[in-house]
Amino acid sequence: MMKKLFASAVALTLLAASAGAAEFRLPAYETAKLPNGLTVLLMERHEVPLIAVRAVVKAGAVNDGKQAGLANLTGDAILLGSEKHNKAYIDEAFDFRGATLAGGSSTEMSTVQANFAKTDTDTLLPLFAEIVQQPGFDAAELDKLRTRKVSGLKQAKESPRQVAGVYYRAMLFGDSAYGNPAGGTVNSLQALKQSDVKAFHQRYFRPDNAAIVVVGDFKASDMRRQIESLFGGWKAEGPAPQQADNGKVQNGKARVWLVNKPDAIETTFLIGGAGIARSDADYVPLQVLNTVLGGRFTSWLNDELRVNSGLTYGANSAFSPLSQTGTFAISSFTALPKTEAALDLALKTYNRLWDKGIDKATLDSAKAYVKGQYPPRFETSEQLAGLLGEMFALNFGREQIDNFMKDVDSLTPERARQLVDKHFPRKNLQMVLIGKAADIRQIAAKYGDVTELDITADGFQP
Amino acid sequence: MKWKVLAAGIALGAAATAQAALTADQVKSFTLPNGMKFIVLESSSIPNANMYTFWKVGSRNEAPGTTGLSHFFEHMMFNGSRHYGPKMFDRTMEANGGSNNAYTNSDVTVYQDWFPASSLETIFKLESDRIANLSIDPKMVESERGVVLSERSTGLENSNIRMLMEDLNSVAYTAHPYSWPVIGVESDIKAWTQQDLNNYFRTYYAPNNAVAVIVGDVKADKVQAMAAKYFGSIPKRAMPPAVRTVEPEQKGERRLFVAKPSATSANLMVAYKAPQADHADHYALDVLQTLLTEGKTSRLYKALVEQQLATQVGADTTDGFDPGLLYLFAVAANGVEASRVEKALLAEIDKLVAEGVSEQELQKVKNRKLLNLYRAQETINGKAQQLGNYEVFFGGYKKMFDAASEYEKLKPADIQAVAAKYLKKSQRTIGVLAAKEE
Repeated sequence: MMKKLFASAVALTLLAASAGAAEFRLPAYETAKLPNGLTVLLMERHEVPLIAVRAVVKAGAVNDGKQAGLANLTGDAILLGSEKHNKAYIDEAFDFRGATLAGGSSTEMSTVQANFAKTDTDTLLPLFAEIVQQPGFDAAELDKLRTRKVSGLKQAKESPRQVAGVYYRAMLFGDSAYGNPAGGTVNSLQALKQSDVKAFHQRYFRPDNAAIVVVGDFKASDMRRQIESLFGGWKAEGPAPQQADNGKVQNGKARVWLVNKPDAIETTFLIGGAGIARSDADYVPLQVLNTVLGGRFTSWLNDELRVNSGLTYGANSAFSPLSQTGTFAISSFTALPKTEAALDLALKTYNRLWDKGIDKATLDSAKAYVKGQYPPRFETSEQLAGLLGEMFALNFGREQIDNFMKDVDSLTPERARQLVDKHFPRKNLQMVLIGKAADIRQIAAKYGDVTELDITADGFQP
Repeated sequence: MKWKVLAAGIALGAAATAQAALTADQVKSFTLPNGMKFIVLESSSIPNANMYTFWKVGSRNEAPGTTGLSHFFEHMMFNGSRHYGPKMFDRTMEANGGSNNAYTNSDVTVYQDWFPASSLETIFKLESDRIANLSIDPKMVESERGVVLSERSTGLENSNIRMLMEDLNSVAYTAHPYSWPVIGVESDIKAWTQQDLNNYFRTYYAPNNAVAVIVGDVKADKVQAMAAKYFGSIPKRAMPPAVRTVEPEQKGERRLFVAKPSATSANLMVAYKAPQADHADHYALDVLQTLLTEGKTSRLYKALVEQQLATQVGADTTDGFDPGLLYLFAVAANGVEASRVEKALLAEIDKLVAEGVSEQELQKVKNRKLLNLYRAQETINGKAQQLGNYEVFFGGYKKMFDAASEYEKLKPADIQAVAAKYLKKSQRTIGVLAAKEE
């Protein structure tokens, strides 16, 4: 039992450097490109004798087309063995050495990652290279994985918190690529074949669409040689995949998606609209502003919905940026009979951004908070590898990091007001409610055109 | 092949400083005259620090009627003290770049502060004021009740395992306070009185019932001086009353069923009676738990997940002052009956007891333990949590530095022996959560 709950599923990660209250700089790293187009990023860290390695590929749910869940299934299926070594061999090799090996994909990137003792590099790095470049996709293993994921999709709907964001994205982006549920749906997953997975890997897992990131206790010159020898022969065939238009938020009118879960004892909700792209020039100052609204314990939303009224255990807000655009949402939950009170209070509190604005003292506090909480986000090799991987896959550069301090410090109440007007969605708010429809149907109608969904129905759209 | 370096040497910061492996002599410790103990570890890889304060009070110190009070009180510790009125604890900390949280379990309540190292003095002012001068505002108590009721219901709404574990504990224990949920029974949450809260503070929040751990970019001598200045004048008090109830011996297998209409597949939990944290069998039992459930080559993963009977398996134990439970759990695959999962799980347990483990399998777990130790020590939070846990539950923080050798000296026979000793039918409770009973 904890004092606070801050849902991380919709939280924005801070990806910038800070100083002032605390000196902090991104540690040194080197970037290189092999002749086959593969990007390689190496950062030495010697605190503990561990190495974090990851392959990052620019492919995700936006590349699924009509086959929702294909990127996700492919990302996980990478781990099912290579052409040379079966799954049992790979599992034993990593597990015996206390190493971790994981795969997966999200909206716009796929990642294969490992973490092992530096003394095991010569054994495990070649296996890692094999499964990234020559995965086996064994038919029997793939069948088991798909069946397990289908069960997992059904189980996820037992927990509103696990699926609220998926409905929200589907509502905002409709049938465009950003609306694709990254994990797929029960029906779409069941239809995927081994040939689909092989084709997806063939198309997107290629050196000119990927990066290898290594952070940890190694000597860069040695690691360079190993990466060259293990990945230098990887070939790209045919034209490279092109960036497509992944869609825009649909906010022509206020809408409510009411997802019926008849045995729900509370209502889980998201409210918002369009946000920003990951590379937006205002990304850093918007984090400061969101800290005031819903990004920390004393934020307006948490203060009103939790501390002042006891309506919920936690309320927050976050921008969720994507490479081309993004979303913004306020999120919380409350006991069924308090649904209307919580929604009204959330909206009233949100409107303070325009009704009253952010005073200087509050802004200064948020600036100190954002700076003070930054360094622990990049304390471990895994965290730093994650940052370098995201910079590659989501197309944002060092300047956002290098300018972090300046962007935070230079934020004034006047600039804050301009940014609020420019970026926080005010009209035609979109809302997802997951709860007992029989009890909250009338309430939902107050906030926009209502579409009802049944949580047990396949997928995340009406 | 030519290696073309496109960008290198971006910025060298404090983070690039190399460090040797952590050793016991790097940890400093002192106890103030009022009995409050401090453990300090200087660690400068990031310009931040933390403060974890462990209080030896949890739901095991409660009684029917006041269940959940330890956790509720944890919330009240943020709601105002003499120099920092309601809301000012968080506002002051956040304005100084810090954040905080806290958790309560059956045995301890732990407060965690994360902050730029330069804000250490502010943190000490905040923490010492609420320990010395907490003011419990009746209005805050009322709104906080709603918060905790929401915390309780959202946990039950979103986690089947939590719902099942709560009910299982009430069956596995017949007398000991571990039988009720840490968050408390709903009617108790609604019924606490001002007097209950005042008594709780006086009884348990004495400096001699606490251990504070500070890890980060700080100097130990400065921390000591500041500790004396801010915490030194808080009076020592009588130690809290001991928990007297000893759970009677379990005489046979127990079972329960929990209905949740929206469950799409069954959740199974098998819990065995296990000893308290500082028992001599701790490390062998920990290895046992790991080889059963951690990693894709663990026994239950192979027997249940790879065999398509379950989608996930797991294990849990709580470090406790009193004998507790070793929980094993599994979520059944779609369409697989709970009884099939249970049969397969118990067959693996029987096999372990009958045949033991190989040197190779034991070595695998030892390797995992060593790497996990490094992973925990990669962060200031991992270090603070570990130091505090060893100090409170294992007889002193220095025991943390013996952990690697305690694992290393285990032999296959030790693992088989604890399996035979604890994984007995008469000592287990089996719970199933599903939409309908089979």
